Amino acid sequence: MALDLSVVVPLFNEEESVRPLYAAILEGVECLGVAFEIVLVDDGSRDGTARVADEIARSDSRVCLVRFRRNYGQTPAMAAGIAEARGEIIVTMDGDLQNDPADIGELLARIEAGNDIVVGWRHDRQDKLWTRKVPSRIANALIAKVTGVPIRDNGCSLKAYRACLIKQIPLYSEMHRFIPAMASIAGPRIAEIRVRHHARRYGSSKYGLSRVYKVLLDLMVIKTVASFTARPMLWFGILSLPMLAAATLALGWTVFTLCVQSRMSLSIAGTGVIFLTSTVTLLAAGAIGELIYKLGDLREHQFSGLTQHLLVRGAAVDD
Amino acid sequence: MTDSTGTSVEISAIIPVGRRHAPDVLALYAEYKEGLEAIGLPYEVIMVLDGPRPEMGSDVRRLLSSGDRVAVISLTRNFGEATALIAGFQRAAGRIILTLPAYHQVRGSELGKLVRALGAADLAIGQRWPRVGTRFEKYRRQLFHRLLARVTGQRFHDLGCGVRAMKRRVLEEINLYGDQHRFLPVLASRVGFKVREVELHQSPLDRFEGGYPPREYVRRALDICTVFFLVRFTKRPLRFFGLVGVTTFLVGAVLITWLALDRLVFRQPLADRPALLLSSLLVVLGMQLFALGLLGELIIFTHARDIKDYQIEEVVRYPAPLCAAEPPRPALSPAPKPSESQRHIA
Repeated sequence: MALDLSVVVPLFNEEESVRPLYAAILEGVECLGVAFEIVLVDDGSRDGTARVADEIARSDSRVCLVRFRRNYGQTPAMAAGIAEARGEIIVTMDGDLQNDPADIGELLARIEAGNDIVVGWRHDRQDKLWTRKVPSRIANALIAKVTGVPIRDNGCSLKAYRACLIKQIPLYSEMHRFIPAMASIAGPRIAEIRVRHHARRYGSSKYGLSRVYKVLLDLMVIKTVASFTARPMLWFGILSLPMLAAATLALGWTVFTLCVQSRMSLSIAGTGVIFLTSTVTLLAAGAIGELIYKLGDLREHQFSGLTQHLLVRGAAVDD
Repeated sequence: MTDSTGTSVEISAIIPVGRRHAPDVLALYAEYKEGLEAIGLPYEVIMVLDGPRPEMGSDVRRLLSSGDRVAVISLTRNFGEATALIAGFQRAAGRIILTLPAYHQVRGSELGKLVRALGAADLAIGQRWPRVGTRFEKYRRQLFHRLLARVTGQRFHDLGCGVRAMKRRVLEEINLYGDQHRFLPVLASRVGFKVREVELHQSPLDRFEGGYPPREYVRRALDICTVFFLVRFTKRPLRFFGLVGVTTFLVGAVLITWLALDRLVFRQPLADRPALLLSSLLVVLGMQLFALGLLGELIIFTHARDIKDYQIEEVVRYPAPLCAAEPPRPALSPAPKPSESQRHIA
């Protein structure tokens, strides 16, 4: 039994929101005429979220509930929901009613049109200007610049993915903000659409300004990792080039002085040897990196199914 | 979960017997037995000999012929207490797992208190209190636990106490090896289990004479390092190594720049400056640390599906009503077990 659509919603202390959210999702999805399921992920809530979600799951067999033992954060919650989802297309959204499930239809239409990832853009954001909007705009510009994936709103959780793509993307720590950037390893087609955004009705915001620092750090890590994962040897080779240059310079100078003035400086010779050693160890690290990559489960052929699928689909669209 | 006598076992008590064990194991067993009987639940005792213990041969035979529900597992060589615990756990049938040290730490009569304290918690660990011992030992212990609290953010008071009661799933989900048994509470609460410390009366026989050899201190220090890396490093290696590496690199780079300026502007000869060696070493060290972090991140990145950083309590899917066209789904699929490969890595 194949499902067309899975809606994955991480919930953390959203007792009041769950029911309205469920109703809104039904309203947004039922009219689409697709076989769907809703995967609610209770991220270790301390209020009655799990109880309410369980009641919903009991009353509606299309609803699946994944419960965490404690609070792990939004990315693990999404990862667990995505792992559990069985639909061909996976839509993720926030559990706090800030996203509008009425937009899911539009997301699906864009996937049908041949995109692999469709991200929402909260163009009319209902948040405080200085603490939320401005930092977010700067961060998004930076993320787009660094990762080369031009998305205006990475923080928007309302996104749709092809399951075969998103299930291959490693999701850990606080990576959910960067899924499009992470997915760029697979070379997907990404589209962005405007989505509605509502001000928070219940509960309180779980994020503050403090996350900016973490986002920046994550960004650096992702940039590095995404560009280097597939070719560790090359990357480490590049890293070792300046070392090699410094070593050549220092050792060359030593040899030169030794030949011309028949004396040499111990510190310059030592420096040369140090840099040479570093070059060698970096290259060795590159070799180890190749080994790790080889043993890992993130190789290109994992995505080859996706590419072929796309080719067929692309041809169909062009007709 | 029934044994040969047909009654089900509720509590499995595992006693790992390492190099250090009570001179009279039978007396120790008798004391534990009394405590276990007092709980009133059917129990079994599993004794795991960590490596051959020829000196205990006759004791073991008498134990096995006593008619009690006792199993003895003998490991081929010394694997460490945590491995012994896991070996015992694989034979355990009880709903509650009790680990007991092979030497006197708490009074046997206190076991009931510990098991009762388990209640809503997943793991209850004993804390010997009031505690006897010299002032030096007390400070040493405090230092260890303070350091550990610093590193892990969790304050425990007596991790050396081998008396712990836990629900089955704690050991099912945590991979222990080597000497990690001591940090079971730390690791358990890290993956979301509720841990309680229970004050238990110390056994009058719990005396460790002669202090620890220096080797033991080195081991404890290494243990703290292990936990530090397990807790801090395994999730985001590049955050940790990258930060340290970049800092070191920058210090070295600034030093080199200064030396170069000195040479170019002030004509200070570079050749006889040891600072050049130091700065280039710093640059190289920073680079190496960064490279290590990158490798770590690569491991996590390419194995993210094996290294799940969350634990699922349960997945709830209710079957569809009969009128629906879809076939019914299993009502309650249990939380997925850690994959086989994951177990092997750990």
